[in-house]
This record gives sequence, C-alpha cells and structure tokens, in this order.
Amino acid sequence: MESTNRAGQTPILTVRDLKMHFPVKNNEGLLGGRQIVKAVDGVDLDLYAGETLGLVGESGCGKSTLGRSIIRLTRPTAGSVLFQGTEMATIGERQLRPFRRKLQMIFQDPYGSLNPRQTVGTIIKTPLEVHGLAKGKEKERVQDLLARVGLNPEHYNRYPSEFSGGQRQRIGIARALAVEPQVIIADEPVSALDVSIQAQVINLLNALRRDLGIAFIFIAHDLGVVRHFCDRVAVMYLGKIVEYGPKHEVYERPRHPYTQALLSAAPDLNVVRGVPPKEHIRLVGDVPSPIDPPSGCRFRTRCWKAQAICAEQEPVLESRDDSAQDHRIACHFPAQLEGLTAAV
Amino acid sequence: MSAAVNEAAHSAAHTPAGGPRPSRRPSHKGQDEAFLVVDDLSVQFPTEDGLVKAVQNVSYSLPLGRTLAIVGESGSGKSVSSMAIMGLHDPKRTIITGSISLGGEQIVGRSQDDMRKIRGQVASIIFQDPQSSLHPYFTVGWQLREAYREHHQVSKSVAHTRAIEMLDRVGIPHPKRRADQYPFEFSGGMRQRAMIAMALINDPQLIIADEPTTALDVTVQAQILDLLNDLQAEFGSAIIMITHDLAVVAEVADDVMVMYGGRAVEHGTAEQVLVRPNHPYTWGLLQSIPAVSSEQAELYPIKGNPPSLLSLPPGCSFAPRCPYVDRVPDGKCRTDLPELISRSAGDHGLSRCHLSNPDAIFAAEVEPRIA
Ligand SMILES: Nc1ncnc2c1ncn2[C@@H]1O[C@H](COP(=O)(O)OP(=O)(O)OP(=O)(O)O)[C@@H](O)[C@H]1O
Ligand SMILES: Nc1ncnc2c1ncn2[C@@H]1O[C@H](COP(=O)(O)OP(=O)(O)O)[C@@H](O)[C@H]1O
Ligand code: SF4
Ligand code: SF4
Ligand SMILES: [Mg+2]
Ligand SMILES: [Mg+2]
Repeated sequence: MESTNRAGQTPILTVRDLKMHFPVKNNEGLLGGRQIVKAVDGVDLDLYAGETLGLVGESGCGKSTLGRSIIRLTRPTAGSVLFQGTEMATIGERQLRPFRRKLQMIFQDPYGSLNPRQTVGTIIKTPLEVHGLAKGKEKERVQDLLARVGLNPEHYNRYPSEFSGGQRQRIGIARALAVEPQVIIADEPVSALDVSIQAQVINLLNALRRDLGIAFIFIAHDLGVVRHFCDRVAVMYLGKIVEYGPKHEVYERPRHPYTQALLSAAPDLNVVRGVPPKEHIRLVGDVPSPIDPPSGCRFRTRCWKAQAICAEQEPVLESRDDSAQDHRIACHFPAQLEGLTAAV
Repeated sequence: MSAAVNEAAHSAAHTPAGGPRPSRRPSHKGQDEAFLVVDDLSVQFPTEDGLVKAVQNVSYSLPLGRTLAIVGESGSGKSVSSMAIMGLHDPKRTIITGSISLGGEQIVGRSQDDMRKIRGQVASIIFQDPQSSLHPYFTVGWQLREAYREHHQVSKSVAHTRAIEMLDRVGIPHPKRRADQYPFEFSGGMRQRAMIAMALINDPQLIIADEPTTALDVTVQAQILDLLNDLQAEFGSAIIMITHDLAVVAEVADDVMVMYGGRAVEHGTAEQVLVRPNHPYTWGLLQSIPAVSSEQAELYPIKGNPPSLLSLPPGCSFAPRCPYVDRVPDGKCRTDLPELISRSAGDHGLSRCHLSNPDAIFAAEVEPRIA
C-alpha cells in the first residue's frame, strides 16, 4: 500500500514519450517502399524504487518492445529514459556499460534463454565477470545466489537440461540477480510454467522485491497474476498506454473502455464461488496494424462509445476531476464513476 | 482490506454456494443418459526408456448437452486420454485397455477406417494449435468443403455453401470472401474460429476442445468460449474441455475431472470440485492461483515438481509433494494407491486420497489466515 503514495518521491526510472519504430519492407505495391511498424509510439511511465508496475494488453500491443527499449536491448527511436537522472535512451554503448547491470531482464522462455552448453555455475558467473563483481569469490557468490532462488548450491556444475521448467526460470532469475540490479523487467516470467509451479516463482519474485527492494516492470497476460503481484498497472493498446494507475483503481474502477473490455473478458475463478458474474463486454474485430494505426483514438475501431471527435483528436493520458490523481485515462468519454463501483 | 476480500472468497468456498450463476454457464443441462462412457481406460506407450503409463484406469461418462472439463498440469494425460476417444493413437505403438462407448458404439480396437467415419461426424477435436488442423496450401473454404464431403455425398457447390455458412456461424466477417483466403491471411483468433468451423461442419455430437484458447488473448478466448457455449445451447452437443486454467473451468464446466500423473484424482460437479475440493492436489491448485476479481494477500504454492510417468512412486502419486502425507496413519500414502471414491459426508465429488476428513483440514487452514 505504501507504494501508491508517491508524494515527494522521485522515480528511479522516468520514461517520456518513448518511441520504438521498426522499418519493414513493404511486400505490396510496385514501389517496394518502406513502412514503419510503430510498436511503441509515445509512452510515459514512472517507476519508483521497490515497486512493481504491471504491463498488460493484447498480443502485439508493444509490451515486450517497450521493456526492451527501456533497458536498451534495442535503441529507442525517440524519447527519453531517465534512470536515476541519467539519460539512457541516447548515450553511447560505452557510457551505458555501468548502467547495464542496474537494469536486468527475465524472459518468458526458461528454455531458450539459457545456453544449454554452459553449466549453471558458468551461466550465473558470467555477468559477475563481465562487471568485475565479487572478484575472487565468484563461486561463493553464485552458490549464495542459487540458495537465494531456492536451488541447491551443489548443483553448480549441472546443465540446464537437468532442471525442470520452474527450476530453469529460477536460474534465469539468479543470473539477473547476480549483478545486483535495481530494476528488473520480467517479460511473462511465469507464462510457460505449470500452474502448480507458477506460484512458487511469483512468491520468489515477491520475496526479492521485499528483501532486496528491487523494482519490477512485470509483463503478463494473466490479469489475476498481475493483480496479485503489482502495485500499479499500465494497460497498453497498439503502442500506447490507455489507462494507468494503482491496481485497485484500475481493477475495481476501470474507466477506459478497453480496460473494461479486457477485465470483463478474463475468466474468473470466483464465479463458481458465488461471486456475481460480470457483464461480458465483447470486442469485435482484431487489433489494427501498428503500421497504420487509426487516427485520433487508436481504440476507436473497436470501441462501442466512439464519437466523431474520437477519429479527429487523440485523447491525452491524464487524470480526471473525479479520478484519483495518479489514475490516468486516455479517453474522450471515460466511464463515469457512479455505476462503476456498483458493478464490482 | 485484502483480508476482508479474502474472507469473502474463502467463506464462500465453505458454505453451500447459491447466488447468481455466471452468464456463460448454461442452465438447460439435463442429466440424460450418457452419450460417452469411458470405462477403466488405460493408455500406455512402450518406449526405449520404459513403459510410459500415460493414462491409468480413467472412467467417466458424459451426457449430451453437458460440458466436462479435464484439468491438470502438462503431462498429466489429458490429451492422451482424449485422443483415445478419437482413435488417434497409433495401434502399433500404443497399448489401450478398457472400453470407450460413444453413442453406443465401442471405440477401443476399431479399425482406422471405422474411426475415420466416426471422426468428424460423431465426434470432433479442436486442438490448441490451428496449424495442426489447417493445411497452409489450401484455402480455408476448400478445406471446410472437403471435410464436409468426407461425410456427405453432395456436390462441391453445395458443400461450399455449407462451408460459408459455417464460417458465418463462427463469427468470421465476410465469410464469402474469407473462404477464398489461405490460413496465413487469417489472424490467430480467426484461424481458431476456422478450425472450430471445421470441427463442427458435420454436426458432431461430441466436441473435444484440447486447450483451444491457451495461445490466445483473453479477449479472443472469451469470444471462443462464448461461441462454444452458444453452439452447445443450439445443438445440444457434449463438450470435453481440456485446460490447465481453473478460471476457464469455473466459467464453462458442468463437471470437472482433475488428473495427476495419468490418473483421475478428483471428479465431480464444478461446484463440488472447485468450491468443496476433497483432494490435496486440487486444494493446492486453488490455493496457488490468484483470481482476477479478488485481492489475494498470499499464494500458497505446491512444492516440488510433477512426477515422471516412467517412474511413478508407489502408493499415491502425489505423496512426494503432499503436505498431508503424515496425517494418514502407517505411511499408507507411500504404499497403497487410494481408490477414487466418495470420501466424506456432504456434497463432495469423488477423490483419490486416504485422508478421512479433508474438508475439516482445508477449512482449518483458511481460518488462521483470515482471522
Ligand atoms: N524487430 C521488429 N521488426 C518489426 N516489427 C517488430 C519488431 N519487433 C516487434 N515488432 C512488432 O511490434 C509490435 C509489438 O511487438 P511486441 O513483441 O512488443 O508485442 P507484445 O505486446 O510483447 O506481444 P506478446 O503479448 O505477443 O508478447 C508487433 O506488431 C510486432 O510484430
Ligand atoms: N506417443 C507417445 N509416446 C510416448 N509417450 C507419450 C506419447 N504421447 C504422449 N506421451 C506421454 O504421455 C504423457 C501424457 O501426455 P499428454 O496426455 O499429452 O499430457 P497433457 O496432460 O499435457 O495433455 C506425457 O508424459 C507424454 O510425454
Ligand atoms: S476516445 Fe473515443 S474511441 Fe477512444 S476509447 Fe474513448 S470513447 Fe472510445
Ligand atoms: S493419499 Fe496421502 S499423499 Fe495422496 S493426496 Fe491423500 S494425503 Fe496426500
Ligand atoms: Mg511479448
Ligand atoms: Mg495436452
């Protein structure tokens, strides 16, 4: 709860108007011209020390690309990423070096992200060596890390193939932890795991945030998991954030039509426990192409509330008179508060 | 604050449920006589590493108009048991025992030719991956048309009209134009719909949906689940929904069978299994999943990993991970396989566990948390 009260705190990470555009070849048309995929198209975010920010939205809306450009796995096309006051979006590779270790990423695929020919010890030790950490005591440090993520320190010399999916995800987490990061971007870290294993990994991440004060950007498609793990939530649609706020605001008082549709579509375990079913809002059509997004509000082609102004003017992501100050919505006609509370 | 929400969720979990029904769970279901009867089914694969006992002694029955969800983690035997119903196992590499009766016809031991006639017409399967049922080199319309002609002696143009009708039925816009397109020209959700159209084109009475929405966004998932529900209401088909997602189960299932290590460990109505579970594995799953509509302060994971089917432990397969193993006297969990039977008084399903009072044990765990 303390993490939602931001008065006077400075964010550890400030993202402003971040854009990641990919030029792609145009197969259609004789000219063979180039087109631009606007995967991330003007995103503002703040991340505070020790908090978790959830990032949700349909497949292809730009979540992974946003995560990758924040930590400079790709160089953003435009915009700013301030990490503790340093501009990361534009500085050169060499100046970036000392910051690399402060921001780490964990991936969805516990299989693909570990080198099968390296032992677990080597996998976790490499980042230590790269950054010159724990000199002369690398092995002890690696074994501490293994214990920290709930693996047997004696398994130092084993290969990834000898571990289960959940254990491999723990190895990936240990590797990220090795360099003592302040921010971890976790991209669908539990999606590939069995249900009975997911909670083990979520609890581990929770302990890390509590004990080590690491801030997380947590990308996931399971809205229940995000609600459990995160302090705040950002909802993305077609390269933009459409709603952004403390999780209890977003989950209990969603104001953007897209957020409402997304939440109403999520299957709910509680329906069988007698919790009244929510009204199902069904979106028609597919997400439009990020090459040629709709004018004005990008959601308007699927929005049941769209008016003429929605095609002409892009709505700004901002708080409203009747919303909590840190609850921002990008919509010309956000849902009114009365009626909303009754629905939950 | 979260404790209060928790309390509501948990106390609901221990009182007989009433209240409004979720809109997706249909109310017309009758308990007619069973259309599908699976009796003591076992499926084994001889491999280089040994005999894989993928499914052991599974029995259930399903009337028309009803939905059975089969849940369990990957490798628990969900797909293998369902593929046996469709006759999709290679007889040379598979040992199948027990019996499967589908609309009165015996399935086990039938020839491939017989099964080809049954597949599609009496029973259809929808897979997770549209690639596995849609051929990339033929138009969607062509594939639907030929699927129809396999069971109906009609002209191509009649079959084509039927194909377009089905595309329309599953909610694909401009079905006439779409019928002439190739699968790659469809979005993921549309491919899944096309696959459902293909599975339904011959009006099967049993639809097996094997993780039909696992790869899809929640928005598309909701559309597909609604679609299956509408079709069931309209045509009264029986549905087997295979999934690992208990929230999906809660929304669509009448009955639930929980599988672990190739065996059914709990079986009952959705309410019995999800609200008043009697097996520690089911209980463990429910404790480890955060719901979207309530705040959960703490998740309680199941420790350890799922078992290997090559070397299942003697006794109860869940024993190595079970927190209650010592509550059963004489170390019986590690030596005796529990039977799948009714365990306690009151409205509970069948469970495969030696505990004599699981209810009371599970309820006692919740109380200190909400106090
Ligand atoms: N290197 C690239 N070149 C061209 N287009 C790209 C590239 N990387 C991503 N894209 C496009 O950018 C958009 C956003 O992709 P991204 O992977 O960020 O989505 P996502 O939200 O993470 O989706 P998912 O939930 O499926 O992981 C997509 O349309 C994708 O096809
Ligand atoms: N043809 C086969 N030969 C050997 N083992 C198999 C074969 N098909 C499935 N299995 C094994 O049977 C077990 C159950 O598989 P399956 O039913 O597909 O699980 P799930 O519950 O994930 O659907 C798994 O251990 C799987 O590896
Ligand atoms: S701005 Fe208009 S189109 Fe966009 S979400 Fe709001 S009402 Fe819908
Ligand atoms: S039989 Fe024993 S080990 Fe198996 S689930 Fe029941 S209590 Fe646990
Ligand atoms: Mg992604
Ligand atoms: Mg399967």
